[in-house]
Amino acid sequence: MVREVSESCMDSLLTEIVSSYCNRFYATKPELAARRIEAIGYQVGHQLTERYTIERPRFNDHLEAIKFICKDFWFELFKKQIDNLKTNHRGTFVLQDNKFRWLSRVSVDPSVEISGAAQEPSVMSENKSAQATGLHLYFPCGIIRGALSTLGIPCAVTADISNLPACSFVIRIKV
Amino acid sequence: MIVCIAVVGHQNNPLYIQSFTEADDALKLHHIVHCSLDVVDERVNNPKKSGPMLNETFLGLLYPTENYKVYGYLTNTKVKFILVTTDLDVRDADVRNFFRRFHSAYLDAVSNPFHVPGKKITSKTFAERVSNIVKSVSFHTTG
Repeated sequence: MVREVSESCMDSLLTEIVSSYCNRFYATKPELAARRIEAIGYQVGHQLTERYTIERPRFNDHLEAIKFICKDFWFELFKKQIDNLKTNHRGTFVLQDNKFRWLSRVSVDPSVEISGAAQEPSVMSENKSAQATGLHLYFPCGIIRGALSTLGIPCAVTADISNLPACSFVIRIKV
Repeated sequence: MIVCIAVVGHQNNPLYIQSFTEADDALKLHHIVHCSLDVVDERVNNPKKSGPMLNETFLGLLYPTENYKVYGYLTNTKVKFILVTTDLDVRDADVRNFFRRFHSAYLDAVSNPFHVPGKKITSKTFAERVSNIVKSVSFHTTG
């Protein structure tokens, strides 16, 4: 039986999680809000990994586990694989998704478009929208961290959004 | 007959341990489970011995004792399942099948959003499902 999740519901839920945590529960402490959202993602990643790895042999090394995240895990989540995987072979991996689904509908502040005329405000609003977008990435970062920790690889995950809707996740494995 | 089944977390922390005997020998069974953890570690860290079943989740017979046989299973997420049975004439396929069913029961239990990862499994539904699986499985070989 194939179970599916409505994408629009997922989008709305994520938006709502972010806005609840950032504007209501922890309005005064944004770092705490980020940590909480990341923790939710962690648990989701943990439980999903538990489920998606049921039929596979164990992984030999870190790269195999990361490949699993890039291919099968990402496919289960987003119906596509990670577009680009880079590594320095010393515990840092960069996973790039050229069209990250959860950001594909994020609009950029219109005032950013009319840049040039007034340099100062556009830079500010760009920062602001980047910040708001960044808040939506704590959840997927948590998912990746949860997935890898469950596979026995403690790590730290950060996201980078320099050119939307492409998005890259940087995984640093703790040794 | 299956006398004991245990789930052990990746730091060798017990997540679930249940014996199915009338007699008061829980302590002895727990001791057997405890001993088997070293065997699991040994199997996993020296995979050459296990040959073709490299990295398979099912670890096979861990060790036989006079009265019991101990089987192990290690999930991709480093959670160990230990099975202690009194049947001495068991087919691997049956044990494999048992573990597969047990794994999916475990999976549903830990997917519960109210379950805290790394803590003991207290779900009654899980306990019930496990005892159903245990009851329905018999390792008697045909013939």
